[in-house]
Parts: sequence; C-alpha cells; structure tokens
Amino acid sequence: MMRAFKLAHSPKWSRPAVLLAAVSLLALTGCDDNGGDPMKQIGANPVLPKLQQYFIPPIRIARAVGWGKDETPTVPQGLQVQALAAGFEHPRSLYVLPNGDVLVVESNGPPAPISRPKDIITGWVQWFAGAKAKGGNRITLLRDTNGDGIPEVRTVLLDHLNSPFGVALVGHDLYVANTDAIVRYPYQDGQTKITDPGTKLTDLPGGPIDHHWTKSMVASPDGSKLYVGVGSNSNITENGIGAEYERAAVWEVDRASGAHRIFASGLRNPTGLAFEPETSTLWAVVNERDEIGPDLVPDYLTSVKDGGFYGWPYSYYGQHIDPRVEPQRPDLVAKAIVPDYALSSHVAPLGVAMYNGTELPPNYRGGAFVSEHGSWDRTPLNGYKVVFVPFSGGKPSDLAQDVVTGFLDANDHARGRPVGLAIDRTGGLLIADDVGDTVWRVSSARSGSPPKPAS
Amino acid sequence: MQHTRVTGTTFVGDANPKSTAKPRGQPLLPMLVPFSIACFAGTLVTDLVYWWTAAVMWERFSIWLITAGLIIAGLAAIAGLIDLAVGKRIRTLAWPHAVGYPLAVVLSLINAFVHSRDAYTAVVPTGLMLSALVVLVLLLTGWVGSTLVYRYRMGAAI
Repeated sequence: MMRAFKLAHSPKWSRPAVLLAAVSLLALTGCDDNGGDPMKQIGANPVLPKLQQYFIPPIRIARAVGWGKDETPTVPQGLQVQALAAGFEHPRSLYVLPNGDVLVVESNGPPAPISRPKDIITGWVQWFAGAKAKGGNRITLLRDTNGDGIPEVRTVLLDHLNSPFGVALVGHDLYVANTDAIVRYPYQDGQTKITDPGTKLTDLPGGPIDHHWTKSMVASPDGSKLYVGVGSNSNITENGIGAEYERAAVWEVDRASGAHRIFASGLRNPTGLAFEPETSTLWAVVNERDEIGPDLVPDYLTSVKDGGFYGWPYSYYGQHIDPRVEPQRPDLVAKAIVPDYALSSHVAPLGVAMYNGTELPPNYRGGAFVSEHGSWDRTPLNGYKVVFVPFSGGKPSDLAQDVVTGFLDANDHARGRPVGLAIDRTGGLLIADDVGDTVWRVSSARSGSPPKPAS
Repeated sequence: MQHTRVTGTTFVGDANPKSTAKPRGQPLLPMLVPFSIACFAGTLVTDLVYWWTAAVMWERFSIWLITAGLIIAGLAAIAGLIDLAVGKRIRTLAWPHAVGYPLAVVLSLINAFVHSRDAYTAVVPTGLMLSALVVLVLLLTGWVGSTLVYRYRMGAAI
C-alpha cells in the first residue's frame, strides 16, 4: 500500500485520467515506425534515439522463400562463395574439429508456451518468417577428404539431442550444449558416429518457458573452463524476474567438476562467444531488447569482463533506464558497463568468428566476422548479412564492412538467414543458413569455376 | 412473453425490441452483454493488484479478462446484427446503452493492445487508466440508462 500511496501522489496521476488517456493514445498512434540509418549505430558510440512505446508494435518480417537453383549469397570482389552442403534441418551452428571435419548443429527451439494472447500472434509471425521449421536435433558431420572444399562424407555424428547449439572439443571430450544441459561425449580422432549416450556435465536453464533457448559455448584457451551464453527468459522480464534466475548471463563452467559461476551478467541474449586471439579475452555478440523503437536497442559485440554487468533488464548502453522493468535496481544500473561495439538495431547477431586464418585476404586477419540473422520488428529491414569488424590491438578499430549479402531478394523476401559461423581448417569462412537449410563456404576467389557440391 | 427481468434485462410493455437471435425464444444479446461487462470490471481489479504487487500473474489475468470480454462482446454484436437484419419490430435501445457499451468495448480493444506490451508498462499507467475509464463508462451507462428506462420508460436496457 505504501507503493500505491506514493504513485498515486506522483505528478502523473494528478491530472484528469480522461485527458491523460486521450493524450497518451494520440502519442501512441503518432509514433514514427521507420528506422533511421543503421550506420549511425555502428561502432563505439551509437546514436540512441528517445524511447517509444507502442500501441501496435511494428512487425516487419521477411517472408522465407529459400534459394532458387544456382542462387547463392553475394560476396565482394576477391572472394567467392559456394554451398558446402545443403538439405539440412534448420542448421544453426557450426564447429570445426581438429582433423577438419565440420559439425553442423541442426536445431530449433522447444515449443513456446502460450502465456498471453500475444504469444499466439508471435507464433504466427515466427512461422511466416520460417523460424518455426523443425530442427533436426542432431549434429551432422561433413568431411572433405580430397581438400577441394566439397565434403565427400556426410554422417550423423549425434542424434536425438535436445535443441543443441554450442559445441566444444577439449582433448577427447566433445561437449554439446543442449538447451537444458551440457553433455560430454568421448570422441576419438576421425570418428564419424558417436554411440555413447554421453554424460551430463551440468544442467543449464531450460524449460518450461525457455524464451531464448540457444546455449552458445566456447572452451577457454587452456581448456579448463567452458563459457556458456545463456539468454534471458523474456524480452524484458514480462515473464517475471523469477524466470530470469542465472539467465541473461555468461556462465563459467568448470570442465572437471561441472560447477559453475556467473562470469558476467546483464547480457540479454549472448548468442555467440569467441576468444580474441591476440589478447585471449572473451567476446560475445548480444541481442538486445525489442519493442521500444526501430532504432532501440542496438545489438552489440563486446568484450566480456569477469564480474561485469551489462544492463539487462534495468538499463541499456550503460545508464539508459528501461521503464518497463519494475522494481528497478539503481544499484545495478550505476555499474552497468557500456558495450564495446554497436552493430545497429535489431540485426540479431547470432554468430561470431575471430579470423586468424590465411585463406582469406590479409585485411581480414585478426578481425571478427559477425552473422546478422536479420530484423523482424523494424522498417526497413536490417541485418540479413555477414559483416566483418576489423580489430587492432585486440579491439574493434573501424566500421563494420558487409562481407556476405544477398540473403534478401529484390522483394525483401528471405532466401536465407545466416546464423552460426566457423573458420574451417584451411581458413575458409563457413556460414550456417537456417532458412536456406544450407552451409555456405566463403574463400578467396580463384581462377576457374568453383567446384560444384556433391548433392 | 413473460420476460420481466432476465440478467439485468427489462422489457417494457409491448413496444419492446424483439430479438430474433434467440434460442428457445430467449434473446441472446442481453444474455451475453453482462458477462463481458464482468470481464472488463474484473480487469480493473487485477490491474490494481498488479500495480501494487508487480507480480506478472495479475497482468496476465488482466489481458485474458480483456480478451474474453472482447470475444463475448463480439458474439453479442453478431447477435445484435442478426436482430437488426431480421427483426421487424426493432425499437432503439435507450441511447446511453447504445452509445456507452460500444464505447467501452472500443476502449477495451485499445486496452488489449496496451496490455500486450511487455512487463510493467503494459499496465502502469496507460493500461490501468484505460481499465478505470472503461469501468467509469460502464457505470455511467448503467446509471443514466436505467434512469431513462426505469423512470421515464424510454427505450430498453441492453
């Protein structure tokens, strides 16, 4: 009752309710739905407009149409792109084993519960965008035996998984991050099928809501720890703060004991993790919150500091308060870290790969590739491409450049959407495409036509 | 016809509207309307509790109550349209009922969108104000409407 008393005497409530309601409705319908230039929100100091709240939240999705025959994404001069393999069931992430075998994690989220009428609408929107396609719940292995960039061997390494996403190999232990647990499997070099049922290392926050279900994972350079990206259980705490226990965080899991601690928090959905090779620091791509405007909040690429708090849900980009969260936590907002590098709003970065290879031109060495799955609540569409962020001295040093585009056709329909990234043994960039159900490989352009994939 | 008072419905004399959308001779429209009103009134209660507690369960009660109220109102509208299309001896409802209830439904529709926002601002302050406004409109409708119907014998209640 103290609270009601306090609020009832705030200035907001001193005016006639009718007038205020009319004014708010006018303000609601008068919102500008069109987003500004994404270039203003790339880099260390993104322009952040004023927060808006919607009467009808804007939805702008790219209808999923798939790739036509011989259609491929587009790459700049000097590079070439080809399908490594196709015909997957919702390929989401990629991992390259030391012998060069490529693991394709085919996966989608568990069914979302319907808590509010809105969830029914959201389900329709996701279906339209191709996000409801059944995931294979398996990991497929691809092997290129003769080194022509086209795999001759294709087997199912692991099957009947539970919405897997992250994969990491340390020694002979292969770790798979399902949506609800990390499972360890024994792996022998060259193995193409694992029959061992696996051993659970630790539980991860899973159902029944499991709003952000992907669990990204990377092993520490010394192999002693696993870092796991655990997304929030809501857009902005609409499922209650209790549902966010140990979520919106990067976990540090001890590989020997399975014990974990929260390495960093306030990261709404850290969908991709990678160690920057020069400084051995952990970096993440993070998906920020929706429904407060086409240019809020920019998704970002950031170094992840031990014990760092990055704002979610209470604030964004440091101390910008989100009024949708109650009760607020000024103590946490005060110490919220501003992320390092904005990627612009609603691009949905789902994969990050630091480049240390030699296959691609030298200007890509040392930088980060980031896959942008693409926006669904912004006009015009944003993302739907793979960009390159140059690094220098272990930090982003310049504007992001488009590397792989053409995922949208001329009508803004989605032929594909990029998700997981990996660098293969020879230094080619691999891209999982969960709408095109294809894995693409980008390499340096060579004279003569690229080899055709075995289908 | 022996209707005197059925769930808040009163027909006055012989000159009352005859609902043609009626199972077993009972008019459907007046049977449905009070249920939607109950849903909209309940929304104000659950909104108030959410305001005090910020417990997400109460916000969910609110949006489902609004949704149920709107669905019932939609069914009532269909029943009313059938009356209009087929009925022969339609008399106008008392004007407060004919204006007030549809206004409350439109406001509730807007309220459903506001309540579909995420977290606290789905209710506080706009949603809560709309819920209160709807109840106010319905109370005024009831008061002015029944004065006309019962005191001056003009028109009919819904």
